[in-house]
Amino acid sequence: MNPSRLCWPTPDGWPARLPSIALLAGVVLLAVTASTVELDLFRLFGALPRMLEFSANLLVLPDWAYLPTLAANMLQTLEMTFLATSIALLISLPLGLLAAANASPHPLVFHVTRNLLTLMRALPELVWALVFVSAVGLGPLPGIMALSFVTVGFMGKFFAESIEVIDHRQVEGVAAHGAGWLQLRTFAFLPQAFPDLVGTVMYILDHNLRAAAILGLVGAGGIGYDLVMAMRMFDYDRLLPIALSIYVVVTVLDRISDRFRRRLI
Amino acid sequence: MNTSSTMRQPLPKKPFNPTPVWLSAWFAVMWLIVVDLDLSFETLWYGGEDIAEYFSRYGTPDFSDLSRYVALLGQTLATALWGSALAFFVAVLLSPLAAHNLAPNAFVYRCAREALNFMRAMPDLLLALIFVAALGLGPLPGVLALGLHTAGFLGKFFSESMERVDPGVYEAIAATGASRLQVVMYAAWPSIQREALGYTLYIFDRNVRMASVLGLVGAGGIGLALHDTLRMFNYDESAALIIVILSTILIIDYLSTWLRGKLN
Amino acid sequence: MSQIIIRGVAKRYANGFEALKDVSVDIEAGSFTVILGPSGAGKSTLLRTLNGLEMPSAGSVHIDGEQLTLRSLRNVRAHVGMVFQHFNLVDRLSVMTNVLTGRLSHRSWLGSLLYLFQRSDMEIAQDALSRVGLTDKAWNRADRLSGGQQQRVGIARALAQQPRVILADEPVASLDPVTSEEIMGLLREICTRDGITVVVNLHQVELAKRYADRIIGLNAGHVVYDGPASGLDRATLARIYSRNGDEADESIQTLLAYA
Repeated sequence: MNPSRLCWPTPDGWPARLPSIALLAGVVLLAVTASTVELDLFRLFGALPRMLEFSANLLVLPDWAYLPTLAANMLQTLEMTFLATSIALLISLPLGLLAAANASPHPLVFHVTRNLLTLMRALPELVWALVFVSAVGLGPLPGIMALSFVTVGFMGKFFAESIEVIDHRQVEGVAAHGAGWLQLRTFAFLPQAFPDLVGTVMYILDHNLRAAAILGLVGAGGIGYDLVMAMRMFDYDRLLPIALSIYVVVTVLDRISDRFRRRLI
Repeated sequence: MNTSSTMRQPLPKKPFNPTPVWLSAWFAVMWLIVVDLDLSFETLWYGGEDIAEYFSRYGTPDFSDLSRYVALLGQTLATALWGSALAFFVAVLLSPLAAHNLAPNAFVYRCAREALNFMRAMPDLLLALIFVAALGLGPLPGVLALGLHTAGFLGKFFSESMERVDPGVYEAIAATGASRLQVVMYAAWPSIQREALGYTLYIFDRNVRMASVLGLVGAGGIGLALHDTLRMFNYDESAALIIVILSTILIIDYLSTWLRGKLN
Repeated sequence: MSQIIIRGVAKRYANGFEALKDVSVDIEAGSFTVILGPSGAGKSTLLRTLNGLEMPSAGSVHIDGEQLTLRSLRNVRAHVGMVFQHFNLVDRLSVMTNVLTGRLSHRSWLGSLLYLFQRSDMEIAQDALSRVGLTDKAWNRADRLSGGQQQRVGIARALAQQPRVILADEPVASLDPVTSEEIMGLLREICTRDGITVVVNLHQVELAKRYADRIIGLNAGHVVYDGPASGLDRATLARIYSRNGDEADESIQTLLAYA
């Protein structure tokens, strides 16, 4: 028995085994890896003045002449997002059907598509953007390719999961009227999963906008390139407008998609 | 043709189906974007052979530098771990304030909500750029960037879970004379612990992915090595690096899926 | 002086609905009071104003001489236990921890952060559990228990507060008749043996007649009857359960047949 006056509400007065072991393991792991991430409180606090100085530098009047370019680049980012998500949507619909356990024509097809989707979404967009930039050159094309590629991996998986939870009585109802294989999928599976699919698309659109905003980092189009350049050249009069415009556009889309999803559910 | 004696009943007027309109609008916008961005998918199509040739250059991965890759990988994983821990810590502090049924007043609620929104809206690589400028190169700015960005997500998830808990449970604990903090500790967290753990695992999973590209902006990890080898057209080493990153992410992905499955 | 003093309490909700209109009631220490009334009469609102889950729009509530205000709220609540229709236990916590939440007003914020309790709190919770006959379930998770058992845990949680008053809002509305008798018997016994004032909302007239010392009839936010259970004749019941002032509807006729 725990001899002290205080105790935990367990049979023996000590905290429950499994959670405390997990917690301890987590703390030990963090302590061990602290040096790997070069965690240094002095450095952290030593950087505070620089951080303040940096923030103070940001507070300059924007470079007005640059604003039209900013708008154009932001539009390009939005266009990339929309196009990449649309392409991914067209590809993931059939793939999602193949990767759903209840709609797939054969268990083998199911497993192959599932693993293919996992592989496609494993690497972040930026890695694929790097690869595609060196394959097809600079510009928005490699960015769109990278974005659609990874998005198919996520969207296909989400689609498959929403198709797997549909109500099977409705499918049987349609099947009883002699619907063919493809008819069954387009008239029984997809309509039922539709609200879920729309929610997924909104969520992914959101995510892709953030991703597209930084693809320019590796020369794959969009606002990211200007951002890195402004950062490297210390163009503070551009930096704040760029960051603000990203924040505003992301927030607006976030609000719209939140409202949209709430209306669907 | 008048074999049947009954008149065919006319159908009521078909309701207007807007789907074709939406579909054509959608395709029109896509086409406009393709024109505006000056994309030539034809080159992509006819250049298929070139691209196939390009990817064949990745065919012979060179693992001679594997020990360095593993060290970098360790740094990447550590960055993701610390980033997730930081996000968890921040989210635990902020989420009760951002749940409308637990926040002390409307002002605090709005502030917490907006803070979380802001963190979510700033892409982590943008934050990493800023922190690298302030702290210098290394994994630490990466930790801060991942932590802040994903704290926005975790905080939102946690507070939404807390808002879904039966209000009667909060009432019952409050009715014993418990303080707001006690209501959070004894009614909110126990009710959402499973969901919260699942979200945290998901965020760790995501952070491993992102940590592997943070190197691009100088925030440590394996991403910088990949960037360098690609810049020097060193495809064999790039292929090896991609394989190392890919297999790690897949392993973490399966582990976290398994763990989340066990939780439910 | 009475233990609970309700003076001119009115409650108007944000949507304009007036749940209580000028209610004044005194409740003596150690009594067993049942509040009767049709749905929407304001029973729940009245009970909930007694521990500040609802704040009255007008009038005052005093408990043991202390007025209920936002400032005194936690102090007053510490001595007023509450039992709910849907039990409102924290599902994922053990029965013991659920009962221990009744001690929270005596714990520091630091201890609460670490889920720590005093040994003496544990003993109080243990006594409360044996009082409701659930000692053997102490380490079970609360959501694994049956409805009747969960309500017993709810009562044990209220007992662990070592309260002077226990409020019970429709405590048996979600339970079967046999379990309802057990729960009402338990509340009655707590009142008689420990001298704890018990105020219960009920919609079963028959239960009210058997267990209550005193019955308060509410209709449309007004007290229409206040007296001993024996005074509950057909005319009084018709007054309590009437709609729009006079006409008693059919369901009341069936209800009266049981009374």
